[in-house]
Amino acid sequence: MSLNNSPLSLPLILESEPDEQWLITRFERLSRGQFLGVVSAVAQSLPDRQFAINLCEDRRNFMVGFAAALVRHQTVLMPSNRSVGTIAEIAAQYPDSYILSDGLEGPEGVMQFDCTHLPWGSPVETQVPMIAGDHVAAIVFTSGSTGRAVPNTKTWASLVRGAELAQQRFGFNQRTGIVATVPPQHMYGLETSVLVPLVTGARVYGGRPFFPEDIRQALACMGQHSLLVTTPIHLRACVTSGLVWPDIESVISATAALDEALAQQAEAVFKTPVQEIYGCTEAGSLASRQTTRDAIWKLYEGFRLYWQKEQVILSAEHLAADVPLSDVVDEVDQHHFRLLGRHQDMLNIAGKRASLMDLNLKLNAVPGVEDAVFVVPDSKERVVTRLAALVVAPSRSEKQIIRDLSRQLDPVFLPRPLYQVEALPRNETGKLTRDALMQLIERKEGCA
Amino acid sequence: MTPMECEVAEMIIESLNLEDTQVEDIEPEAALFGEGLGLDSIDALELSLAISQRYGFQIKSDDSENQRIFSSLKTLTQHIEANRGN
Repeated sequence: MSLNNSPLSLPLILESEPDEQWLITRFERLSRGQFLGVVSAVAQSLPDRQFAINLCEDRRNFMVGFAAALVRHQTVLMPSNRSVGTIAEIAAQYPDSYILSDGLEGPEGVMQFDCTHLPWGSPVETQVPMIAGDHVAAIVFTSGSTGRAVPNTKTWASLVRGAELAQQRFGFNQRTGIVATVPPQHMYGLETSVLVPLVTGARVYGGRPFFPEDIRQALACMGQHSLLVTTPIHLRACVTSGLVWPDIESVISATAALDEALAQQAEAVFKTPVQEIYGCTEAGSLASRQTTRDAIWKLYEGFRLYWQKEQVILSAEHLAADVPLSDVVDEVDQHHFRLLGRHQDMLNIAGKRASLMDLNLKLNAVPGVEDAVFVVPDSKERVVTRLAALVVAPSRSEKQIIRDLSRQLDPVFLPRPLYQVEALPRNETGKLTRDALMQLIERKEGCA
Repeated sequence: MTPMECEVAEMIIESLNLEDTQVEDIEPEAALFGEGLGLDSIDALELSLAISQRYGFQIKSDDSENQRIFSSLKTLTQHIEANRGN
């Protein structure tokens, strides 16, 4: 039986317990019963439409909007970014949609439900709503390689199962206090900071702390057993902030490869292991490792890998379909793998093979390099393609960087040109799109 | 531009490595982010580190003042003057 098509209903949230504090901010601590009260009140006033585009930035607002839409049998749409163009594109594809927003103005002509002042004082609701397992709870959009948003459909049963599998790996329970710096619209953020709290009862910080001091205060606010859910960019900021951190239980990083040196620094600063999650929007999080200790990734229970020709495929009972991994992995066994690089990132230059991910890790490991990326230029002619690189390294000269890098790489992979830039054009989740990189390179070429 | 605004503008240029930008290019009341100077959230993170190192206090966004603080050179300078350690 495929869980994905299960007609069974599953609870929206773990049942409330006396005296619990579940959804926490510096000013307020709500129980699940209080949360359900707000959800119930909001659900009654939502527009009668099929799709809710949830743009709420505040995690509490997002969670209420998400849960209220499910109660109304609606599907929550989650765009990959908050640009007006992206939202307009999705709204046009899903005409029976409206926007849930707590500040951001949506595109003109799209109905908007204001989540800025939700009825937090609503009466406690103890009856837990049941959601059909096969209800399409969310559609998470990824920015496709072609620039068009690609929809990934998630049933309620598959979302619940994903959270349970993460719980099995990390042992989340009702004492756990999650503080997340990632937006809830991102699959990693949705799973770890929205679904895990709903399904396992783990406590969650209701804001979206951004600066290191926000993160410190949020962790302090959660008290014992707090867990930081973050990205390499925020980890770097935390490590360099010089702040004294409260005792926390664990750190989880995802969305981009975590440099081992940074993982070591973070473990020293937080005095706790840093776990790295591997996942994709299609499957959610699916494997983890402790970056400073394990070269090999361990799949979550319930997932397994198999080969089909040259491609490694991921399979799990709760997924609607098997997912070809977009990364090149070296299968250790059905439950373990080594990450070699992304498929589209496998390079062949002058007969030599390299993974772009590996090159990027090496470039980022050059002393003085704060952020850097290799870019494969559009090859216009069938000659040897040279890689370009964009590097943030204010204290180093281009020559010094190339010199250090030449100790690590085959000369065919040395970037030509290497441009020093003030920052890489990362989007909200820290990702670099090819368009943004090419634009930056063109600007640099124009200056040269 | 006040001397303090000038100092903060220099810090912005230096910490974000805006090599092509001069202090006088930054208008005190123009937007720093988005369409103005074109800074993004990662720059905000970078700026917060520079501010904590130079002025000895931490930027916070939890009170949702963040947007106002970073809205222009003028507001950022005011925030620094009001919070800097002595």
